[in-house]
Order: sequence, then structure tokens, then C-alpha cells
Amino acid sequence: MSDTPDFDPFGMARGWMSQWEKLVNEHGTELLAKPEAAQAMQAMTGAAMQMQAASQETSAKLLAAANLPSRADFEALGARLGAIEATLARIEQSLRVVAPDAAPLRPQPARTRKPPSQS
Amino acid sequence: MASAAAGSAPSAVERAIQRNLKGLGYLASSAPVLGASPKDVVLSRGPLRLYHYHPMTDEVYRVPVLLVMATTNRGYIFDMVPGQSLVEFLLLRGYDVFMADWEAPRPEDRALGMKDYVEDFVGGSVAEVQRITGEDDVSLVGYCMGGVLSVLWSGLNHAKGPKNLAVFTTPVDFHQMTMFKAWSDQRYFDVDRLVDTLGLAPAEMLLTAFDMLRPAGRISANFALLDNLWNDEFVKGHRMFDRWSNDMLPLAGEYFRETTKQLVWDNALMEGRMKVGGRPVELDKITAPFLHVTAEHDHIVTTGASAPLLGLIGSEDKEQVVLKGGHVSLIAGPNAVKRMWPKLDMWLAEKSV
Repeated sequence: MSDTPDFDPFGMARGWMSQWEKLVNEHGTELLAKPEAAQAMQAMTGAAMQMQAASQETSAKLLAAANLPSRADFEALGARLGAIEATLARIEQSLRVVAPDAAPLRPQPARTRKPPSQS
Repeated sequence: MASAAAGSAPSAVERAIQRNLKGLGYLASSAPVLGASPKDVVLSRGPLRLYHYHPMTDEVYRVPVLLVMATTNRGYIFDMVPGQSLVEFLLLRGYDVFMADWEAPRPEDRALGMKDYVEDFVGGSVAEVQRITGEDDVSLVGYCMGGVLSVLWSGLNHAKGPKNLAVFTTPVDFHQMTMFKAWSDQRYFDVDRLVDTLGLAPAEMLLTAFDMLRPAGRISANFALLDNLWNDEFVKGHRMFDRWSNDMLPLAGEYFRETTKQLVWDNALMEGRMKVGGRPVELDKITAPFLHVTAEHDHIVTTGASAPLLGLIGSEDKEQVVLKGGHVSLIAGPNAVKRMWPKLDMWLAEKSV
């Protein structure tokens, strides 16, 4: 064991932190794996979702009253745009099959490489 | 003794000074640019982005490689910065590299399910790689849930499956992922309510779940950063991995619902009852050479969850390799550069002609 004084203030904290981390990880995961922890977590998630659903409903009503589009309207619009994008992608794909590019944009390397053991 | 003490003092003092100076620099500087290897987006479908990386050699192997990223995270973990990029490593070793990466699903993507991810996204990517390269053979390389999707696609399409199938830290026995199993306990976790209310499984919820696997992880990581602020390499690595691990993606609602019900609750893949779009997944009929690389200290996909996969795959040429490292350090960072990447290259090269 060295009797050299340690001038690095982080030196002691390093050892302490390492022990603390081990302890918290061990006991923390043990605690979090218990059914009671899962129940509490899901109860909180459930409450948050309930609040979110209620807030969505209220916002939709307020926006409708103000004659403004709601989140659902934007989602529907997004879905329609997505469907248009998908259709365009399918058309692009079909065109590639019917009329493949005359020449690739970059020169393509030969697909003839051998593994080091065979070359 | 006095001279020894005097000898050790300057480095500690110097480190303290450097910590302060570089700490200011850390706060003022921008994060490193990640995922910057030159590439083309060759297919864009819902949250899927299929990249084709520009080859870096004059001659490539005949069989292209398709990397399939986990659906919860961004693919730049495979392409951090030059010198620490699996993509760059494979390109320099002469592979033609593609990657199926993910963007955050949009609210209208809520209905995308397992069939879309497996058949349309993985299957669609394979078809596009075949079209671009003119090769029927493709090597499929999946990470974590990307590995699950690759295995599912191979188990559905064993007759026309991949030429080679390599996966990293891929779970199959979800009942062995004890923490996730406990948190999604059917008695308390109403997945239908979550999906029906929110549409997507929020990224924050997933990030919290991953954080809780190591409750002290975030605090100790910040302490390690403070302690090592004088060390440029450490700080650079911390910034890259910290940014990546916080950059989680939400999941499409139906996909999350099916993952929870089929994989986690029913353990259907392990029990041989897994179906995608009504078709059975037959892992025992997969014949492609198979490699499973797992990490010795993986706290997310534990050995118990990943190890049984090898026994379920039908291939005669199959191998599992356990390497030092954790769930992420297995595939990126100095540990991966030294261990996993050369192993993958050695395994793939012989099978890519």
C-alpha cells in the first residue's frame, strides 16, 4: 500500500462514487423489480394518460368552438400526405423497374473482391 | 516520501486546472458531428430510411451487407466519427454497405405493426438492396431489436432468406429480461390503453425504462465526466455516447402493442408460436450461416435472454460469440474496434464472395 499522499480531491470521491453506484444499482433494481413498484409506476402512467386524454378532449372542443383545426385534423392531414408520399414512392419504384437509370451517378466498384485468405 | 509526494502533486494539480479550463470549453463547444459518412437515402417509407454508403474501395465483395438498426435508437451508433465507425470500417474492408435506419414515427404511423416492420421495412430494404446491386444474395446484420426484426424476416422467408445472418445482442427469451417483464406486468400495465390514448409509445417513457435498469448510471456517468474533463478522448467519447443514448425514438403504437403482447407477455418467439401477419416464424428452417455476438456485461439484453437464440436457429453453420463489453460498447467505441468489428469482418469476408 502506498504511503504517498493523494492530492487529487477526486481520488477519494472516485472510490466513494464507485461503491455508491454499485449499492444503488443493486438495491435500486431489486426494489424496482418488485410488483409494488410496477403497480405504482403504472398507476402514475395511467393517471398521466387520463389527464392527457381529458386535456386532448377539452382542447378539441375549444378549437372546434373557435373554428380552428385540432390535433386530430392535422394528423388526418398528415396521414393523407403520407399516403400521397407512399403512392409517389410506388410510382418511382415502378419507373425504376420499367426504365432503370442509364448510368449510375458514381462509378460502381467491381464486385470481385476476395477475402485475404483467398487472394 | 516527500519527493514522491511532490512528484505526484503536479499531475493532480494540472488535472484540476485542465478540468476547469476544459470544462468551460465543454460548455461553449458544440457536440461532434455524428453519422457523417457519405451516403444516399435510397428508400424512404414511413419511419424507415435506407442508406447506401459510398464505397471506399475500388473492388467490393459480391454480397452486399444490410445493417438493421434497433427501432428505439438512431443508426449513427454504427457511424459515430471517422475511426470509430463500423460503417467506415466495413467500407474500408471492401464491403458494399447499406443500413436500415429509423426516423421518429409520425402520429399517423400509429397503425404500423410488426408486419409492416418485418415485411415492408426489412423485406422492402432487402428487395431494394437486391435491385440496386443486382445481387440476389444479401448479408443481414441486425442489432438488438433490429436483430429481432432480421431474425423474424429470415424465419418467415427461409427459402429466399439472407445469404448470411449476423445479429448482435438479440433477445429471444423475453421472460429473462426480468426488469422489462416486471414493469410490463399484465396485472398493472394496460398496453391497449396506452396505445389507444397516445398513438405512439413515447420516447421519454422508453428512455426512463432504460435508465431505471441502472438507477445510478446517469449520476455516475456525470461524475466520471467531471473527473475526466482534462482528458479530451474521454470527453469526446462521453459526448458521442451521451447524445446517442438520449436520442431515443418513440415507437409506432401497434408495433409496441404487438411487441409487448407477443414477445414480452406470451414469449412467443421463444416458445415457437410467433406469427407475423398470420404467417408462422420458423426459426428452425433458417439455413443461412448464423452468427450471434453477445456482450458479457449486457444489462439490457441479458445472457439469459439472448443465449437460447442459437439453439432455435436451424442453420448447420452457426456460432455464438460472447465478447467483453456491454450492450453498447459491444458495437461502438474502443472495445468494439478491438473486438467485435474484426470478428464480424473475419466471419463475413469468407461468406461474401
